[in-house]
Amino acid sequence: MADRAGEGRAQPVKALMRNDLKQSDLTATGSPLRRYWRVFATFARNSIIRDMSFRSDFILQSITSVSWAVMNYVLFKLIYRFTTSIGPDTGWQENEFFVFLGTVWVINGSIQLLFMGNFDEFSDLIRTGGLDFALLKPIDTQFLISFPRMNWSQVPNIVLGILLVVTSMNAMWSDSSKGAWFTWWTVPAYVFFVGCGITIMYSVMISLASTSIWLGRNQNLYDFWFYITNFYRYPMEIYQRGSLGWALWGTFTFVIPILVVSNVPARVLANPLGGPWNAWEWSLVGLTLAMTLASLILSRLVFRSALNSYRSASS
Amino acid sequence: MSIIEIENLCKSYRVYQKKEGVWAGIRGLFHREYREVAAVRGVNLRVESGEFVAFLGPNGAGKTTTLKLLSGVITPTSGTVSVMGFVPWHRDDAYRRRFALVMGQKNQLWWDLPATDSFRLHQHIYNIPGAVFERTRDELTEMLDVRHLLGQPVRELSLGERMKMELIAALLHSPEMLFLDEPTIGLDVVAQHKIQQFLKHYQNQRRTTILLTSHYMKDIAALCKRVVVIANGSIHYDGSLAGIIDRFSGDKVVTLQLDERTDFASVAKLPGSVEIEPPRIKFRVPRDEVARVLGELLDRYQVTDVIVEDPPLEEVIASMFLEAAQQEPELVGAANGRPTR
Repeated sequence: MADRAGEGRAQPVKALMRNDLKQSDLTATGSPLRRYWRVFATFARNSIIRDMSFRSDFILQSITSVSWAVMNYVLFKLIYRFTTSIGPDTGWQENEFFVFLGTVWVINGSIQLLFMGNFDEFSDLIRTGGLDFALLKPIDTQFLISFPRMNWSQVPNIVLGILLVVTSMNAMWSDSSKGAWFTWWTVPAYVFFVGCGITIMYSVMISLASTSIWLGRNQNLYDFWFYITNFYRYPMEIYQRGSLGWALWGTFTFVIPILVVSNVPARVLANPLGGPWNAWEWSLVGLTLAMTLASLILSRLVFRSALNSYRSASS
Repeated sequence: MSIIEIENLCKSYRVYQKKEGVWAGIRGLFHREYREVAAVRGVNLRVESGEFVAFLGPNGAGKTTTLKLLSGVITPTSGTVSVMGFVPWHRDDAYRRRFALVMGQKNQLWWDLPATDSFRLHQHIYNIPGAVFERTRDELTEMLDVRHLLGQPVRELSLGERMKMELIAALLHSPEMLFLDEPTIGLDVVAQHKIQQFLKHYQNQRRTTILLTSHYMKDIAALCKRVVVIANGSIHYDGSLAGIIDRFSGDKVVTLQLDERTDFASVAKLPGSVEIEPPRIKFRVPRDEVARVLGELLDRYQVTDVIVEDPPLEEVIASMFLEAAQQEPELVGAANGRPTR
């Protein structure tokens, strides 16, 4: 190694350093939004490079998650052999439901692609004091810890989700009575509400991850994620029966608003009841907007106050 | 105004006292006992722009905690700090743009990626214009002689190489203030020397204000004119390295080489003798008695060589630490940037 070569005694370091830079030269101009975008893009790029350097692991992960999705699909395919719809008048027939399922895959995949791994690592950062470095950077700390490592092996899942949504929509349209309500804004609205759903999940997960600053350790993040995503994988109508069902529905709509995460975008696209929306559906949309905003603000407050309690770790 | 002004800085932690055993563990679920640990107690310090100051102290003395307070990673229990006019723990972006912290025991580079990819990330985080970034990166890699390693994943670098990359990452945004926490820890002599040389040269060129903590006296002797000794969370000495010996050791070490035929057993019985390796013998003599004692010895024995020197620095410092550990914290808490005893 060149490092070791002929170094018994002092060699003068080449005098290359220049001293002619002013502080103003050191900072590029341009809007902060563009800077955040550039950092985000670099995270994405670096993560791809990293994922590709562990090729077999990457392929294995993709296969695992895709096969899980396929089994899920087969299971529901089987269930729909026994029934035509979930409940008599919910409108969730086979095609509508598969639009729902595809949406869940897209949301799940995006969450895992973007931040699940980072939040899982967050508790390690706190335990080992690695968070120190994030706190030193002249950029929003929450942003910095949310997205550094993206999990690209989730992309096939997202693509599968989109495929499932598209093919199910297609099948719905071949059924003549459906599709009349579909207008130019349906797809943008769908994308928007998928975004809202991801934002709500982001807020829930970062709030949970933040608790590891107080708890010192929090290894249950993925467990918790698994539990709650179990609930949002189905249309919310299945909870609307019996007092226990309504209790669950209330909790997961108003307290931890995960039901709107998957239900609202899927409803926007599949419109299971057909025709123009009723008051109930409009109020769900309003609730989603309010919940997105509220959860984002609340999670930011939680993260901030958690940071104030951070005490770093031994040198 | 000084670039760093620290007044009465204190930081204490609440630590959970875990007792041994399963039962104690279960009881700990319901009732916990905590202990206050004061990591930094009443530190006062001023540093001028362009100074290279070393923090010296035993493990757990509060050096790293002080650096973390200065870089705003943690918030103090009480006291005030101003660095370049900023309060560090407010974490202003304007402040964070102007300093860097390097920790020898932690790494911030992406483990699985070549260092150059982490550098790019830093460029965007610090918003460094492309041309400036490339120039600085090339200069630094040239100076540290690591250009050929830029494309190698960080996990495949040696510790010394990795440390160089860490330094580059920290210096890309040309910080005006640099905090170095044991940057040479675990490195071999050659790598240590390289890093020292680099830091010296860099500081000379850029007039960056640098605070360094280290356990290696060589680092400090090579780099810093000013040494601040911290023990038990407070400052025990602030001055030059050589001054430590004057201040904390009243003794000189006198080594005599005697004639082979001397009766070494009788010499060994003389007061103040500390080490005998015939034909050499070492004495520890109070400074103001050196002349008298040496005169007597020369009269009495066949002496072939004489060396009079200061006791080894490590030894003086070790005894100083020991002394500090025995003192009541209240007594040393008043340390006001000056030696206290």
